[in-house]
Amino acid sequence: MSALATQSFAKQSAAAPTNGHSSKLISPSALMAIKNLELRARIVVEGFWHGIHRSPYHGFSVEFTEYRQYSPGDDPRYLDWRLFARSDRYYIKKFEDETNLRCYLLVDHSRSMDYGSLGWTKSQYANTLAATLAYFLHQQGDAVGLLTFDEQIRDYLPARNRIGHLRRLMLQLEQATAGSTTDLVAPLKRIVEIVRKRSLMVLISDFLAPIETLERNLTTLTASGHEVMLFQVLDPAELTFNFDRAVMFRDVESGRDLFIDPATARKEYLHRLNAHNEAVRATCQRLGAGCRSFSTDRALELAMFDFMRERHQRGKSGNRFVRSRK
Amino acid sequence: MSFLAPLFLLGGLAIALPVVFHLVRRSSREKQIFSSLMFLKPTPPRMTRRNRLEHIFLLLLRCLAICILAFAFARPFLQKPMAATPTNAAGAQIVILVDTSASMKREGVWSDALARAETALKKTTAADQVAILTFDDQVRSLVSFEQWAAMNVSERSAIAGQRLSDSKPTWHSTHLGNALIAAAETIEDAEKREQHAGPRRVVLITDMQEGSRLDGLQGHEWPRGLEVVVEPIKAKRPTNAGLQWVMDAEDSAQTTSDTPVRIRVNNSADAKREQFQVRWAGVAGDSLDAYVPPGQSRIVPAPKLPTNAAAERITLSGDEEDFDNAAYVVQPKAEEVNVLYLGNDVETDSSQLLYYLKRAFQDTRRQAVRLSASGALSTNRLAIISSTLSEERSSEVRQYLTNGGTALLVMNDTQIASTLGQLIGAPDVTATEAAVANYAMFGSLDFTHPLFAPFSDPRFGDFTKIRFWKHRKLTIDKLPGARVIASYDDNDPAILEVPVGRGRVFVSTFSWRPTDSQFALSSKFVPLLYSLLDQASGVSAQLAQFRVGDTVDLSALATKSGVSALSVRKPDGSPVQLASGETRFNQTDQPGIYEVSAAPTSVKFAVNLDAAESKTAPLPTDELERLGVPMKSAEAIPSLVAAKQETLHNAELEARQKLWRWLIVAALAVLLVETWLAGWITRRSAAQAEATA
Repeated sequence: MSALATQSFAKQSAAAPTNGHSSKLISPSALMAIKNLELRARIVVEGFWHGIHRSPYHGFSVEFTEYRQYSPGDDPRYLDWRLFARSDRYYIKKFEDETNLRCYLLVDHSRSMDYGSLGWTKSQYANTLAATLAYFLHQQGDAVGLLTFDEQIRDYLPARNRIGHLRRLMLQLEQATAGSTTDLVAPLKRIVEIVRKRSLMVLISDFLAPIETLERNLTTLTASGHEVMLFQVLDPAELTFNFDRAVMFRDVESGRDLFIDPATARKEYLHRLNAHNEAVRATCQRLGAGCRSFSTDRALELAMFDFMRERHQRGKSGNRFVRSRK
Repeated sequence: MSFLAPLFLLGGLAIALPVVFHLVRRSSREKQIFSSLMFLKPTPPRMTRRNRLEHIFLLLLRCLAICILAFAFARPFLQKPMAATPTNAAGAQIVILVDTSASMKREGVWSDALARAETALKKTTAADQVAILTFDDQVRSLVSFEQWAAMNVSERSAIAGQRLSDSKPTWHSTHLGNALIAAAETIEDAEKREQHAGPRRVVLITDMQEGSRLDGLQGHEWPRGLEVVVEPIKAKRPTNAGLQWVMDAEDSAQTTSDTPVRIRVNNSADAKREQFQVRWAGVAGDSLDAYVPPGQSRIVPAPKLPTNAAAERITLSGDEEDFDNAAYVVQPKAEEVNVLYLGNDVETDSSQLLYYLKRAFQDTRRQAVRLSASGALSTNRLAIISSTLSEERSSEVRQYLTNGGTALLVMNDTQIASTLGQLIGAPDVTATEAAVANYAMFGSLDFTHPLFAPFSDPRFGDFTKIRFWKHRKLTIDKLPGARVIASYDDNDPAILEVPVGRGRVFVSTFSWRPTDSQFALSSKFVPLLYSLLDQASGVSAQLAQFRVGDTVDLSALATKSGVSALSVRKPDGSPVQLASGETRFNQTDQPGIYEVSAAPTSVKFAVNLDAAESKTAPLPTDELERLGVPMKSAEAIPSLVAAKQETLHNAELEARQKLWRWLIVAALAVLLVETWLAGWITRRSAAQAEATA
């Protein structure tokens, strides 16, 4: 598992790419053909559970717990009687937080997410991913919130775990992308203002925007005690730029037209894209935030695995706040 | 094949456009949507081998359409030899206008002018009608159209040239405006007599000097088809300065003869020198340096004449042309006017009339009034009577008046009325002392009378400050032909004019003794006396300075001397006898001193060159054009005419053939084929695409 965790995105996408490589995974094209977002999420999560049961990684939970020996004065409510039955010793079951995990899904709904070369857009993929995570966490009894944004904040749902909340969340996610440009600053600032309690922040975007201020805003977020995970969703065409004809390229966000000959522009493009992604990743590294890149042709279960692995790694590597404060 | 507008053929270069469009078509038409261009830079359209030409035939059709259009716009036509232009059977009407003004006396100018005229005459054909006019401030005809027509064809040029070379530049100024109009009128007159079809031309041979008068040209309606060809003659040496005598005003306060004569020196605008010397001719003495920048004038005092030396000519040296380097000066002499005073007054008694008269008549530059109390009457201009005269004296005065004399009778008292009666031949004239309550004033004045005419301006017409304590009253009915010029506020006459024979007597019913009135002390006293003197024709207009060509009025001299036939001696010594009764002398054709001899005396006057004639800088030819003269440039004629004719011929051929219409039709046809072909190709490729799908 640790070997897997250190694998880079490129290796992952090469090792476990798409349709049919592993028949156990659900092909994104098949999944995306399902119109209902909730159904899609459920399929992925169930498949994921299915996979987990057969995987060697079972036994961990979203919320990490620890035990310590009972000492007089501790609240006897928290004694683990089962452990006592097994080991004949008093242990206190310790929670990191009193409540369940609160997770906020920050989903980019800007126009650039509307691009897709595979029959589904990055936005659809990102929504499915968000829905999957929400479904999964909801199943676990955790509170899930949602914030969609483009150049400004579109919708906000506070983290809850009520019946019906998941449905509302799905409906919000299904709303069409409306904005034009991507602005990562505004939603991050806003979420810091709104969410006071320590939460898990999952930022799903293509990050195709200037990132000069990203680090500062992420710092505010981490400094407020939130755990941050960045999921970058990119189309395979964006990753390879495998166009063959020199045509006018139109920017979906700005509407700007540029004449581009891919043969000459590809090298430069890939270089700059990788540099950009590297910069995002480096920022996350510095702040102790998790960062994963997804190609939209990648099976969503793998994204779930990534999520879990990231969480687990965080748990193993100790208190990230201490780390980030170092 | 030739083209009317060959430049349009360059439009054929536009075939590059469809080729370029063909090459770049693939890359520029389609659009690829992409999420973000933030990592992309624009690449210039490349025309690589991949962008090879497609649909070559379509491209060729488009290029062909453009070529045909360019070809049509170039207006092609098939060249045919130019039909022989009909020779101008009618010939041209040519007026050769030669300047003979004083400035043409400059070195080489006149000979150049003759040569030009010669050339112009040689160019004429047998069919041409030629008139030769010379001009300065007047226009003279040397050869008229009729004379030309009457001459033998082979001898015309020679005779006309001979006449021209016989004439010489005069001393007159230049009136170019009049000359051009006269030339145009000569052509118009000829036109009236006989219809003329050929071109009409005025060949103007002149030095185009700046001093030419051009008035009258603006707004003149020139005959249709008239062309003025200017043959400007350039002087060999540009620097020319002239000088003129500047006269003082007649009533100038400077009365003495030692006031220096003032001279205006002007320098031509294109002069190369600025330093000139002015001196009296024929007198040993210093010369005076005058510094005059080009195009400007300066007034300098003439050098002082040595005592007892007399000179009439001032000369200028230092410039390159000497036709205008002399100014003739006749120093005016003050005229002596005799006034006889008939009265018993003592000159030194300020309570009497003579005391004031003496002081009123002061010498001026114009005249010196001699007031005497005795002497023969006939030598006096004016007689002033202030006391009762003896019978004998009265008849003398009456005789004087009848012969045209003028007298002023001042009524000191009522007895003098008898003298008035004797003078006018009405013995029953009586006067009474008027009863003046407080004081009397002038009530009405006749400003239309020449005596008061100088006061007619409202600035000078205020006589209300003069008060009369005493005056006499005359009954006007008893004065035959009397005219009241001024009257008091009680309507009694104050000043009357009574004609006597050829002369007249002015009667004032008041005197200017301080006990009688304030008149002698008022500002009107002296002017009124001079006005009276003028009425007595006491002062003749000064003959002083004239310009060449001016008419001199000698009537005053004739009247004064009583000589009926005057004779004038011109500067070159030739005498001119004026006809009896003729008082106008108009033969001032050369500068110098003219002498008019009238039996006892002789009078001199100076005739000088017109100052404008010294302005010899050349006038730009376009000044004439600006004034609306129909000009034709002398140089570029033959080649331009030929080119113009050829252009006209070509335009006519093109208009007849109209090949451009067929070319436009062809272009439309090609475009139709192109449209059809393009449509067919599109349909075919669409069908192929469907088939493959």
